[in-house]
Amino acid sequence: MKAFLLGFISALVILPIASLAYLRLGLAEVRSDAKPAGWESRLMHSAVHASVRRSASGLQPPARESEEDAMVAGGKLYLNGCAGCHGTPGKPEEDLTHYPPVPQFAQVGTEYSEAEIHWIIQHGIRDTAMSAYGLFYSDKEIWALAAFLRRINNLPSGVLERIQDKKAPAGAAN
Amino acid sequence: MKRFVFGFLTGGLVLALGIAGYFTLGLANVAADAHHSKWITQWMISSVHASIRRTAPRNLESPLPASEENLIAGGKLYLNDCVGCHGAPGQPRSAFGATFYPPAPQFALDGTTYSETQIYWVAKHGVRRTGMSAQGSSSSDEHLCLLAGFISRVRDLPPRVRSAIADGAPH
Repeated sequence: MKAFLLGFISALVILPIASLAYLRLGLAEVRSDAKPAGWESRLMHSAVHASVRRSASGLQPPARESEEDAMVAGGKLYLNGCAGCHGTPGKPEEDLTHYPPVPQFAQVGTEYSEAEIHWIIQHGIRDTAMSAYGLFYSDKEIWALAAFLRRINNLPSGVLERIQDKKAPAGAAN
Repeated sequence: MKRFVFGFLTGGLVLALGIAGYFTLGLANVAADAHHSKWITQWMISSVHASIRRTAPRNLESPLPASEENLIAGGKLYLNDCVGCHGAPGQPRSAFGATFYPPAPQFALDGTTYSETQIYWVAKHGVRRTGMSAQGSSSSDEHLCLLAGFISRVRDLPPRVRSAIADGAPH
C-alpha cells in the first residue's frame, strides 16, 4: 500500500513537471501553418463549447419585432467585420493560416445558440484568433450578428439579397 | 516495485481524467477579455520563445541589407498589414491588439527580443493558439524579410526612415 501511494504521488508530481519542462525546452511545436490533430480539435472544441454553454446560460436574446430585419442588420455587420476570417456566403474557402483554424460559418454554419454566439463575440475565445469585440460593437449590434450567424447557412429567402444590397438601409437592429 | 508502478499509472490516469473532466465540464474559462494570469502568460511566452529558438534557422543573414530604402519599404508594409494589432510607431497601444488572449505584442512601444531571422520565421509560419496567423501563403519571402528588418529595428529607426513612414501613417 505504501509503495502504491508513493507511486501515485510520484505521478502527480513528475507528470506536471515533465509537461512544464516539455514546454520550457521548446519541444512544443508552435507553427500555425499546420492542421491540428483530430483528437486535439475534438478535445478543444468540446472544452470551448462546454465552457461557453456554462457562461452564456443566463443570456436571452431580446424580443424583436422582426427577426429578418435583425438578420439583415447583422449580416451587413458580418460582411464588414467578420467575413475576412469567417468566410463570405457563397464563396467557399479554407483557413490554413490560423491554428486552430477559423470556423467557416458561411459554409458550415454553427451549432451555437444565439445567446452563446453573443457571449463569444463579446468576450472572444482565449488561445485562438477570436478577440473580444465587446468594446467595438453595441449590445444591440452583437445580438443582430448573433441572429444572422445562427441562420447563416440557412437564411430565409430574400435575406441574403437584402444584406448584399448596398443601397438598402441596414434597418432597425432591434 | 510492482505496486509503485501500479500507483504511478493510477496517478497518471487520475490526472489525465481530472484534466479531461475539467475541460469537458466547461470549467475552464475561455473568455479572451478576462484577467491574464502573469504566471500563465510568462510560461506561454517563454515556451513559444524556446520553441522558436529551437526550430527557426539560426543566424541566417537577411538577403536584404538594412538600408534606409529597405527599412522604409518594410515600414510601409508594416503600416499596411500589422499596425491593426501590433501598434504604429508614435501611436498609443493598439486597443484591438489588447482584445486578444494572449494580447498582441506592441512592437512599436515595446520592441521585441526576437532576432531578425526569428521575426521572419514567426511572420511566415504564425504562432499556434494565438491571433498570429501564418503569412507565408499571402506574403512573399522578400516582403517578410523587409518586415523583419523593420520590426527588429522599430524602436531604433534612423530619423529619415521615421519621417518617411510617418507620412503614410494612419491617423
